[in-house]
Amino acid sequence: MKKKLLLWGLVIWFPILSQSQNNPVINATLTGKIIDAKTREPLIGAAVLIKGTTNGGTTDVEGQFFLKTGQKLPFILVVSFIGYEPKETIVESNTVEIALNPDSKQLSEVVVVGYGSLERKNLIGSIAKIDPSDTKTIQAGSFDAQLQGKVSGVQISSNTGVPGEAINIRVRGATSINADNDPLYVVDGVFINNNSLQTIGTGGKATSPIADLNPNDIESIEVLKDAEATALYGSRGANGVILITTKRGSFEQKPKVSFNASYGQAKATKLWELTTGPEHAQLVNEWWINTGKDTPSLNRTFVNRPFRPVSEGGRGLSEEQQTYDRLGELFRTSSLSNYDLSLAGGTKTTKYYIGGGFNNQEAIIKPIKFQRASFKVNLDQKVNDKIQVGVSNSFTRTYRNQARAGDGPAGGLLQAALHTPTYLSPVNEQGVLVGRAGFDNLTLLLDNYNVNSTSLRYIGNLYADAELLPNLKFRSSWGIDYNNYNESEYWNNLLISGSPNGLATSSITQFTTWLNEQTLTYRKKIGTQHSFGVLIGNTLQSDLQTRTYAEGRGFANNQFTQISSAATTAGSQSWTKSNLASFFGKVDYSFASKYLIDFSLRADGSSRFGNNRQWGYFPSVGLAWRAKQESFLRDVQWLNDLKIRSSVGITGNQNGIGNFASQGLWTGGASYQGSAGIAPQQLGNSDLQWERTRQFNVGLDASILNSRVSFELNYYNKYTSNGLLQLALPAATGFSGYWSNAAEISNKGFEFVLNTVNVRKGYFNWTTSLNIAQNVNNIEKLPNPLRYGSRDLILLQEGTPMYSFWVYKELGVNPETGNVIYDDVNKDGQITVADRQIVGSIWPKLFGGLTNNLSYKGFDVNFFFSFQYGNEIYNHNRFFGEGGGARDAARVILASNNDRWQKPGDITDTPRPDGVNVNNYRDGGSRWLEDGSFLRLRSLNIGYTLPKAVTRKIGAESLRVYVAGTNLFLLTKYTGLDPESSASSDQNQQGIDLGTPPQPLGVQVGVNISL
Amino acid sequence: MKVTKYILSVSLITVLVSCDSFLDVKPKESISDVVTIVDRTSAETAIRGVYSALADGGYYGTSFQSIGYLSGDNIVWTGSQSQVQEFINKRVNADNSTISGAWIAIYRTINRANNVIEKVATVTDPQLTQALKNQYIGEAYFIRALAYFDLARTWGGVPLITKPTVNPTDNVGIARSSQAETYAQVLKDLEAAEPLLPATTDRYRATRKTVWALRARYHLYQKEWVKAEEYADKVITDATNYRLLKPFSAFFANDARGTAESVFEIFYNGTTEVNGHRGQWQPQTNGGTRQWAPNDALVTLLNNPAVGGTRSSLVAKDNQNRWYGNLYYRNPASDPSYILRAAELYLIRAEARAQQDKLTVGLADLNAVRDRAGVVASAAATKDELLLAIENERRIEFALEPHRWFDIVRTGRAAAVFGVTDANRLLLPIPVQQLLSDKALTQNPGY
Repeated sequence: MKKKLLLWGLVIWFPILSQSQNNPVINATLTGKIIDAKTREPLIGAAVLIKGTTNGGTTDVEGQFFLKTGQKLPFILVVSFIGYEPKETIVESNTVEIALNPDSKQLSEVVVVGYGSLERKNLIGSIAKIDPSDTKTIQAGSFDAQLQGKVSGVQISSNTGVPGEAINIRVRGATSINADNDPLYVVDGVFINNNSLQTIGTGGKATSPIADLNPNDIESIEVLKDAEATALYGSRGANGVILITTKRGSFEQKPKVSFNASYGQAKATKLWELTTGPEHAQLVNEWWINTGKDTPSLNRTFVNRPFRPVSEGGRGLSEEQQTYDRLGELFRTSSLSNYDLSLAGGTKTTKYYIGGGFNNQEAIIKPIKFQRASFKVNLDQKVNDKIQVGVSNSFTRTYRNQARAGDGPAGGLLQAALHTPTYLSPVNEQGVLVGRAGFDNLTLLLDNYNVNSTSLRYIGNLYADAELLPNLKFRSSWGIDYNNYNESEYWNNLLISGSPNGLATSSITQFTTWLNEQTLTYRKKIGTQHSFGVLIGNTLQSDLQTRTYAEGRGFANNQFTQISSAATTAGSQSWTKSNLASFFGKVDYSFASKYLIDFSLRADGSSRFGNNRQWGYFPSVGLAWRAKQESFLRDVQWLNDLKIRSSVGITGNQNGIGNFASQGLWTGGASYQGSAGIAPQQLGNSDLQWERTRQFNVGLDASILNSRVSFELNYYNKYTSNGLLQLALPAATGFSGYWSNAAEISNKGFEFVLNTVNVRKGYFNWTTSLNIAQNVNNIEKLPNPLRYGSRDLILLQEGTPMYSFWVYKELGVNPETGNVIYDDVNKDGQITVADRQIVGSIWPKLFGGLTNNLSYKGFDVNFFFSFQYGNEIYNHNRFFGEGGGARDAARVILASNNDRWQKPGDITDTPRPDGVNVNNYRDGGSRWLEDGSFLRLRSLNIGYTLPKAVTRKIGAESLRVYVAGTNLFLLTKYTGLDPESSASSDQNQQGIDLGTPPQPLGVQVGVNISL
Repeated sequence: MKVTKYILSVSLITVLVSCDSFLDVKPKESISDVVTIVDRTSAETAIRGVYSALADGGYYGTSFQSIGYLSGDNIVWTGSQSQVQEFINKRVNADNSTISGAWIAIYRTINRANNVIEKVATVTDPQLTQALKNQYIGEAYFIRALAYFDLARTWGGVPLITKPTVNPTDNVGIARSSQAETYAQVLKDLEAAEPLLPATTDRYRATRKTVWALRARYHLYQKEWVKAEEYADKVITDATNYRLLKPFSAFFANDARGTAESVFEIFYNGTTEVNGHRGQWQPQTNGGTRQWAPNDALVTLLNNPAVGGTRSSLVAKDNQNRWYGNLYYRNPASDPSYILRAAELYLIRAEARAQQDKLTVGLADLNAVRDRAGVVASAAATKDELLLAIENERRIEFALEPHRWFDIVRTGRAAAVFGVTDANRLLLPIPVQQLLSDKALTQNPGY
């Protein structure tokens, strides 16, 4: 306890430095003019500041300014203006004229990095910055889903068309088999949780906690990719870091009100094509007779075929069958509305941002809905010259109508709508609605679905900055991420899950992270050539997750829905916690702004690892050479900038493993006869330690032709060792595995970004940005292969990429017999498991995006494509739907199955129907593995900003109206609905499409007003 | 400023010093495996943990049971999980998920039993009397015997593990023993259990009489007819405790449990101990998936008064006029799993007697079972007729219980009854994941 108190003591103190306030004494006055260096035109609204003070002003319509100051001449004046390079001038007399050079925007852009910010020209690491205003109109629930194709080397797949569900995001590949591969999300310095708290089964799907953030509150997003950039986040940096900076006010800014409103609709562009009732029946008969021929003992003949006349005891002739449409009942044109209102401003010592937002999105399948209401307050206060304190607060309520849009029979929407055979009537002989094929009745499901969740989320940060000595700054901050996730289900007795007398569940999960951080930074210039900085800091973090669950069964009737009215009830609770302590430091040095070097080291101790191995050390070193600054390049006119960067370092990973993964445990949950029982739960491993990823990066940044063409090229090589793995044990030991560091994985690739200004002429501007990346993933070491996914479709084994498809390779259909010819790998004359082989993987060969921005006077147009090339996807709907009748009344048959082989000489790749897993219709056949390459018109925005003269009349600063389209166009060979679909949110089961609603085409109209 | 520096350095030191305790986080839902079975309470809870493994969905909950009946000729597959059809087709692949689940669950049970056998003996707690120690260890031996028996009859010889796994390196790389060696381990464990257990009656936990019942079945499988008859007789003679109940459904219908029919059944309370078996059988209107169902042939036999009699209560019709199995039906899911019951002992004794040409008494045992089901007595006159009548009786009596496949395999009649001519198919393949996890394991021939 004493230790604990001391620990807290550290974080509560910070020096209160009282500075005596002097009465203003005027020692100098200054008038001046700011002009464009080339055109000599005055610049209106440029900011002028006396360095080292808060004293400054802005230029008037003549480009002039006037200052009174207590400083004595000479002093340094800092002048900055958007679109121009800032300039520092030593002022010796009281009138000055300062000429600013137009800026090549790229170089002076401020980029947020770990524990600080830098101008882009001084960057050593590989960091991408995204302005979310481009993407926030894309119809998706979370900001990260909106970033697809925007950042080179970052692969983002929206696995479903349900807004606010988890997406798959990978920064430079995947490094871990059983630990997380998601990047670390940091919001205003708070490491936030991105693991879903959902416990209700929705068929392998999970909600995204990132959807709790309102995209409109975000000022900028930085994606940190290489070791130099991420090493300061050492323990968490191996999968990249996404830094989110939320909006804040500015000092001495007059209050600005912004209001955005938009409304839109969305729908699926394509649905599955199903067989009609007669077609289905015909295929079933064909299968029946075929199997009878293959195995006479089954006694299956034409005479006793299932679809024979009712008078003969059959289900009626195939041509007598009806066709019932269910997909049309499930899918809808959904609506979306979004409202944001914010106020930002500041005085000399205070700045503030207050924002509120409301977003309401329906999914394209009933009854799913996503709703987010958010409220944000950011405040910063200068206490005196030396001290500033501030807070960030965001509070969100996210409400979801949920439903099982994934796999699983009970409550499965697409099982009921898609996988139910079309010939089966939704009513039985008595006219009562009934479920078919083991699935729920769709109408009953839609009328009675009652599953919802409410997430209350607070993300906040309180900081204090103090300048202890000149150039020596101290910062202490507290961050909290609190999430209360409340779920409930009620299944009445008309639904499978609620049979026979109703089932209700309620679950409250609470997740709390607290984070405390101290940093001390010192930055100094010595002479004109040498500049260096030192940063040291520490972090303490604690994550606690608790859950309380209750369920009730047996309700008097469907009017009673609360657990308190149930006949039998049950409950449970759970508790889990992890702590992390870290120390870090960084030294950087630059010589003549030409040679940049930095070195950083982070030490992290995690409670999750074995007693001997809790601490991990993560160093990195980075170098950059600004070649353009060399004398021999300075005068090369066509080359505007050239920089070469390189870094190497080690980062760690511990996310996703159990909080107690290293401990040998017995559980108390093995009860028998209603009395407690204990049993072995997991084997311990006191040597369990950090997963380590070593990353080398070399990059080149260049711009030419008056900075109209700029590009960035990166090559990286990541090697993960001590990979966290549930190493399989023979089950004869009584355990299926234990946590170890047995895996090694590599990711290598390049990233290329090209930005061009195609036209900049008068009012017409056109810019293009292209990014292309490649990642080559390989499992370098894995003691024994691991199988994942339905029918073991995915195999992880040494020497092949992660998430490779493990299938029976089909060479075609024999035109004579109609049977599939399989690749008999071991040539033993029979097809067994030993003949399964790896065919392709989920990894694209290339992926990226292309953005175009055009503007003319008040008009702006933005269109953006994202693409992937060379990845595979397993169309599991076809696996079920092309069984050729073998699943009889248990599954729908897709219309594509009509092309099956029927008689000798037929050339087709769909074989003759036979039994399940006999020959032609084998679990894991390769004919359902498809090319998942695509090119998507992800967004198209057309906006018009009204002329100032018009907007001023109605009292507004600016007013823009726009039309935005999402997913307007998709080019793909994939025969399913959406090549990004994945039935599961499990990281090891990507790329299997089963019963997943596609991402819809959406259109919306909106207005942005600022006052 | 000096003060500030001083505070800063002291604070940093404080953090360093206190990190050890900050990083020491212990779970609340589990305990360390260093201290597990140390006194009476922990011994008592540990033996319940062994039963809990036996009750698991992978073992007697659902999966292992389904291997026994799906592989027979009574069940039709109506769902979407194709591993089910592989049993019905009698072409089970090594990547079948049911056999994988069953293998894992059975060995988990063995490891728990090994823990009890090894650790309970060393406990010194005056509360834990020698009688209690013997009982717990005896129960663990019994369950281990049952587990190896099930492994042997399904897969043949398997790795024999008799020590608990404490470290990841324990019990790895152990090759398969022969089927005979595996059965020998079963007998050894049964012989060890018998004297340790009290001769009481407990239908949910093993007693000496439960051992007798399993020995009867064991000897039947070994074709040791004298012993099979002897042990079946020991249980049947205890008629106050074990007898055939009328009507047939008396042992399961109307939420019955622990009836005199039952020698050993697994208890589920329906909340913390759930038997998911019903989900596979019941139709959607009862909250199930009806993944499999009685086939037309079985429905006909059960509904034939001369064959099924009151055993027709095993099946029922849903609101779409489809038949479903109704042995597992309770909601919440608290159906017992029936492992050994009186009818089996009668039929074991009937078969053992028939094999010894004691036709009259053998026929009497058979007819006891038929009579209970309300079916006319069999008139089997010869040994062959009687054996065939017993075989057919077992098909109906245990229509939804895991016997049919194992019965036909042990009597060598798979070719005649199921048309399975490939002898390799009589043993199931070792799950492929096990072969990948342990190089010491070898696959059964033909897979």
